This record gives sequence, structure tokens and C-alpha cells, in this order.
Amino acid sequence: MGLNTPALAYDAFLVQLLSSLALFAIIAVLCLQIPPIMVWVERRGPAMMQRRKGPNRVGLFQWRFYGLLQSLADAIKLIWKEEVVPTGANKPFYHIAPIFAVFPAFMIACAIPWGADITVFGHQIPLSVIHLDVGFLFIFAISSLAVYAVTLAGWASNNKYALLGSLRASAQMISYEIPLGLSLIPIVLIFGTLDLNQIVLAQGAFPWQWGIIKAPVSFIIFLVCMFAETNRAPFDLAEGESEIIAGFHTEFTSTKFAAFFLAEYVSMFVLSCLAATVFFGGWQAPFVPHDFLVKTFAGFEWVASLIGAGVLFLKAAFFMWLYVWVRWTLPRFRYDQLMGLGWKFMIPLGLANIFVTTLVCAFIYFK
Amino acid sequence: MGQITIFYILAFLATACSLLVISSKNPVTSAIYLVCDLFILAGIYASLQAEFVAAIQIIVYTGAVVVLFVFVIMLLNLAPNEQSSLGLKLPDIGFTLLTVLSFLIVTVLLVNEQSSVSGGALGPPEAIAQLGGNTRAVGMTLFTKFVWPFELASFLILAAIIGAVHIAKKDPKPADKAYGNLKASNREKAIYGSP
Amino acid sequence: MVPLDHYLVLAMILFCIGTLGIVLRRNIIMVMMSIELLLNAINLVFVSASTYNQNLDGQVMVFFVITVAACEAAIGLAMVIALFRKYGTIDTQFLRTLRG
Repeated sequence: MGLNTPALAYDAFLVQLLSSLALFAIIAVLCLQIPPIMVWVERRGPAMMQRRKGPNRVGLFQWRFYGLLQSLADAIKLIWKEEVVPTGANKPFYHIAPIFAVFPAFMIACAIPWGADITVFGHQIPLSVIHLDVGFLFIFAISSLAVYAVTLAGWASNNKYALLGSLRASAQMISYEIPLGLSLIPIVLIFGTLDLNQIVLAQGAFPWQWGIIKAPVSFIIFLVCMFAETNRAPFDLAEGESEIIAGFHTEFTSTKFAAFFLAEYVSMFVLSCLAATVFFGGWQAPFVPHDFLVKTFAGFEWVASLIGAGVLFLKAAFFMWLYVWVRWTLPRFRYDQLMGLGWKFMIPLGLANIFVTTLVCAFIYFK
Repeated sequence: MGQITIFYILAFLATACSLLVISSKNPVTSAIYLVCDLFILAGIYASLQAEFVAAIQIIVYTGAVVVLFVFVIMLLNLAPNEQSSLGLKLPDIGFTLLTVLSFLIVTVLLVNEQSSVSGGALGPPEAIAQLGGNTRAVGMTLFTKFVWPFELASFLILAAIIGAVHIAKKDPKPADKAYGNLKASNREKAIYGSP
Repeated sequence: MVPLDHYLVLAMILFCIGTLGIVLRRNIIMVMMSIELLLNAINLVFVSASTYNQNLDGQVMVFFVITVAACEAAIGLAMVIALFRKYGTIDTQFLRTLRG
């Protein structure tokens, strides 16, 4: 951002920089908490559905916390495991691949607006680390890098199952990136901006003003692509345990495996946030306009922004639960079915959706 | 001062990455350096206030084109002796010197020619700000002045898709046409060969 | 502000490196990557000239160049696969059927 803004005053720049760094630290710490909690949800949730207990042994003294500490134990175990590098592996790429996986997920988390602008020492600070006019394009650009992690991981570990898994996964991710992009174009057409915070503001606080009402087809396409992009069930062919062991991360152990795990859950969380931002009013609390909150907390406007962040988090949490719910409900697709769905149904539907939305927008514009 | 420092850093990195692209032994390494190079160039575009082009550069080039390269390299799985590096022989050195020299001459001429333009104001054009940002302005230009080239470009892409599929497809054996009539077990044998 | 010269010189350096790649490498895929370098050098000239002349036509041209580059890569790589299937190599030294 710094390059394009007309020369800021020095103190304004400093406040901007420091608050961006602080926000990044908060978001990074928050994102690091996602995998343990999600692992817990993903064990206790299906246990609830299938009428069994799920993990409930690990605890502190007499407190069990419903098995929540199991995730902590797992994390400690993962970190202390011995790291094994396959003999035939291509060393540099084997070491770089997990970094390539984690980097895009965190970068996208930085572009999501977490609340209304706040005022710090008299300077207005947007509540997203990277505040861009072209936020949408930035997200697509960064998310297209996730393919390299998968491809390199599979290729560098010198294992045919890993290579097969990585080829499957990367073909899937590239294919579903197209309908994902197509599904968001109607949103850009309707709200007339590429800035995510502007889109949130344009949606307003009431559910009938939200993106899901204005572009329902887009939401359906986005939802399906969301599952496919993160390689989650029912599209988890990349990791099809029954056929190709664990896909592209078969040969990864210890911290590197943990990095892939982290990347998967953080990208799930980030896409959930994006869905909430674009289709469910982002940080706007339903039925409670932001102005009302600001008036209520006059003098403490940052409380309103904090509530916004909490609301966005709750909306994202719903999508995270949806991920788990779908995973334990639907069976896995076959590979040709997956590709057929992507290319023969999702892309034509996305194009038709854009066409219809354009017609409606033009009709409203010229009327 | 800030801008020119950033430019020098980016320019140095771009040059280094490009050199690594052409000198790496392993094509996959080259492809990854190419990704870095494209990223740095996108940074330069962004510093030139061309955000749309920068974003498109990353989406299309690093997200699609270089992935295609990586795919093909992995699919061909070349033997080590075919991953030839810069094998410098006498004619090659001649070529190198000739290329560098000719480009140096052109550069010197060009810089002399352009020195009158240099130092032009890089202020944000008010017209773009009025239109509502770089993306909208580029879109306006694209869909008014360049609408026919745009249509032609879409036609070109369609032709490229069909062409690529046709060229890369395996040569169908004469027996292929009869697959439909075979029983399922025999069909697999006919396509994949008997084990 | 950075003078326009600097961008042009950088573009020239990149173009030079790309040309060297085309001339010196034997692997067709490497040659194609060098072509991408050339196209990027040209894009850099387009964008910098566009910004300095305050005319957006240059950026639109970059859009077209990227489109054509994508098509070129798709067709070119398809041809590489076909070549590899037919001759078992993509080394330019061994692909000299047309040399007579």
C-alpha cells in the first residue's frame, strides 16, 4: 500500500505500520489456534452424530475439558516426532513446499476486513493488515500460489503415490479456481467495487441486503468450490486414504506435516471468512446497524469494531462447522465425477450467472 | 528516495532471478525462479500504479502458465542427461558476446533517445482517480477503445484450447473406434494392454 | 521519482537474459521459459511507458500480451508433449529432422 498513497506524514505512517504489525500478530496467533480447535470439533462432532464418545481421556488433573486437551497432546507429539527425509527426495523443494503451503493462507487472512475502521491516536486505521483497492484480485492472485505447495510436495518426495496425489490435487485446485472466480464476478458487478471493506459496507446490516439474497447462484457455486479448493470431503481425492495413502503429504513427518495441516485448516478458515464477508454481510451484526453500535458506545468506537470482528468470527465458525458436517455426511466423489462437475456444470453455470446478472444490472442501470 | 531504493532492490532481484532461470540445471528450479521473477515484476508494476496489471500478472502467469510448465516437466520426467545446463561451447560464447553487445548498443541508443522524456511527472493522474481506480479505468479502455481486439483475443484463446487438446492427444489406434462394441473386460485390455 | 530510463534499462537487461536463454539452452521447455522472460521485459516497457505518458493503452496492451503468452504456452507445451512422445527427447540437438 505504502507505494501508492501520496506521501503520508511520518507519524501517520508509523501508526499505520505499527497497527498493521500488531493486527498481523493478532491474526497470526488466532490462525494458529484454528487447527487444534478444529481437530477437536472434527472428532467430537462426528462422535456426536454417530452416538459415541470421541476422545475424552486427556485432561489436567481431574478436569477433562471434553477432551479439548487431546489436540494439545497431538500438537506436542507432532512437534517432537523425528523428522524423516526420504532418500530420493529433492531436498530444497522438499523443505520449501510446506512454506509454500502456509504462506498463501496467512496472506489471504491479512486481506480480510475484520471490522470498521478504528481511530488510533487520531489516525484512521483500516482493520485489515493489507488494505487494497483491489482486494479481490489480490486474494485470487495469492490463492493461486497454493498449487505450487501441492505440486512441489508431491514431486519432491519421490514417491509415486505422493506424485499421483499431487497431480490430482493440483488439477482439482486449478479447475475449481475458475468457477470460484466466476462466482465472485456477479458480486463485483452488483456492488461495483473490488474493495472487500466497501463490499461489506454496501451490504448493510439486514439479511435481505446481503450478497446471498442478491446473488444466490453465486453462493452455491462458491460453496462447492470452497470445498474443492481446500481439498476437503466430498472432494478430498487428493488424500484419498483408501487409494493413495495420504496423497501429496505422504512422505512428510513431524513439523512439516504439521505445516500442511496448519495450511489446510487456515485456508478453510480464510475461505469461510471470505464467504461470510462476501455473502453474509461480513463484520456487520445482523439486524444491528453499525451506526447504532457506534452511537451506543460513543467514545469507545473500537468496541463496535471489536464486536464486528466477533460477528465475523461467528459467521466463519458456522462455515467451519459446515465443513465438518459435510465431511461426515457425504461420500467421496470419483475423480471423473469431480472433473465433470467442475468443467461441465460449475463453469457453464457460473458463466450463465454472470450473463443474467449483467442483464439485470444493465436493466436497473438504464431504467 | 524511497521509491528509487525500492526500484533498485526489485531490479536487482529481477535480474538475479532471470539469470537463475536460464542457468539452473533442473527445469523445476528454473520454473520456481520464474515464479519469483514474475512476482518481482508484479511488484514493479504495482509501484508504477498499475495494480490491475500486477494482479493479472500473478493470476495468469504464476497461477496458470508456470503451473502448466511445472506439470509438463513433471509428466515428462526427463532423465538427468536431458536436463542439460548451460553447456558453453565456442560458438555459444560467440553468440553470448554478440547478443550482449548488440543489446548494450541498443540500450545506449535508447537511453540517449529517451533522456528528454525522463523525469516526467509520476503524479497520480486525476482522470484515473475520477474514474474510480486503475481497475475501472483499464476496464473502460478495454471495453470501449479495444473492444474488437478483446473479442479477437477471446477467439484466440478458444482456438488455443482446441489446438492444445488436439496436439497433445494420443494418436488413436485404428482399433480405438471399435472399443464401444467390446465387452467391458476386453475394452480395458484393449486400451491399457494386457498385463 | 524513478526516471523512465531505469525501467527501460531493466527491461533491456531482462530481454538480453531471455535471448541468451533461447540461444544457449538445449531443452525446449527452457527455451519456452526464456520466451516468457522476453514477453515480461516487453510488458515492463509497456507499463512504464503507459504510466509516464499517463495513457492507459499500454496497460491494455499488457493484458493482450499476457493473453497471447498464455495461448503460446498452452500450444507450445502441447507440442512439447507430442514431440516427446514421437522422438523420446526434447533436446534441440537431437531434433534435426528438417535439417536434411
